[in-house]
Amino acid sequence: MDTGKRKEQLKAMFQRVIDPLGYKYSPDTELVDFLLEQEVMLEKEKGSPFCPCQGLTGEREHDMQLVCPCIPFHREHFDAMKRCWCGLFVHKDVDDPDKLLQISRKEFEESGKKDRF
Amino acid sequence: MKKVLMYTLSTCPWCMRAKKFFRERDIPFEFIDYDKADEQTQKMIREDCESHGEEIAFPFIKIGEDVVVGYNPRKYSEFLES
Amino acid sequence: MLPWVFAINENELADGEKKLLLLEDKTILLVRQEGNYYAMSNKCPHMGCPLSKGNLEGFIIKCPCHDWKFDVRSGEFLAAPEIKAPVYDTDISEGKVFVKMDGEL
Repeated sequence: MDTGKRKEQLKAMFQRVIDPLGYKYSPDTELVDFLLEQEVMLEKEKGSPFCPCQGLTGEREHDMQLVCPCIPFHREHFDAMKRCWCGLFVHKDVDDPDKLLQISRKEFEESGKKDRF
Repeated sequence: MKKVLMYTLSTCPWCMRAKKFFRERDIPFEFIDYDKADEQTQKMIREDCESHGEEIAFPFIKIGEDVVVGYNPRKYSEFLES
Repeated sequence: MLPWVFAINENELADGEKKLLLLEDKTILLVRQEGNYYAMSNKCPHMGCPLSKGNLEGFIIKCPCHDWKFDVRSGEFLAAPEIKAPVYDTDISEGKVFVKMDGEL
């Protein structure tokens, strides 16, 4: 299938998943376009649109939790950042995604899961 | 100058931005693309991430003895200068 | 159009089993568990994969594509209950199972 067409399909499917979770696509449209393109390539190569910013291990249980949108499996961590790890999705109230930092899993856990970032 | 080693993914824009940060400042660094690496190297990278208590999330950057996971220019500068 | 649609005869589905049905142009997953019947949309809310091809364990159906697990009683995704597949009421009358097809789309 044509990459552009598949990107639009994924975009529409994911929209229905992220909306009830309180997320939207990043206002950074260039980033969104780039990430969706990577996901289409990953889907062609590996069978699923995996997160382009996290590493697959080959273990199904691990890797299936990295299929986009992976928010449900990283909810507290991503909520603390107000974005997902790769930045494709942000909280609905975010207007300037460049202000949001990537906080590693360890930093998040050590913060006592407090909203101090 | 501190040694800089990065684990990255060829598909990850934040890895690209991290590389750009170091290149713009003429700071030499080595990097390995996890998704392009052989199985043995991938295993080594996973073990390294896990030994630091982190998930296999990229970019994973070692600046001397310090580790930064994610694109965070402020931390890069802080660790380069410390 | 009547909302209650004939689905199957009771003896067509054993307890603990699932069946794919086409009702009113919609693909429906019908599950019989502990003597009750549960009907939900067969399309996974994630990427539209057919849930009928997944494993059923108790009240939990696991999508064959990416292992997302749903409770057939509520349609809720276990990892995030905000994400739900449409579910439909069922009724048994004179050995026949009916599904109320006026659930949300």
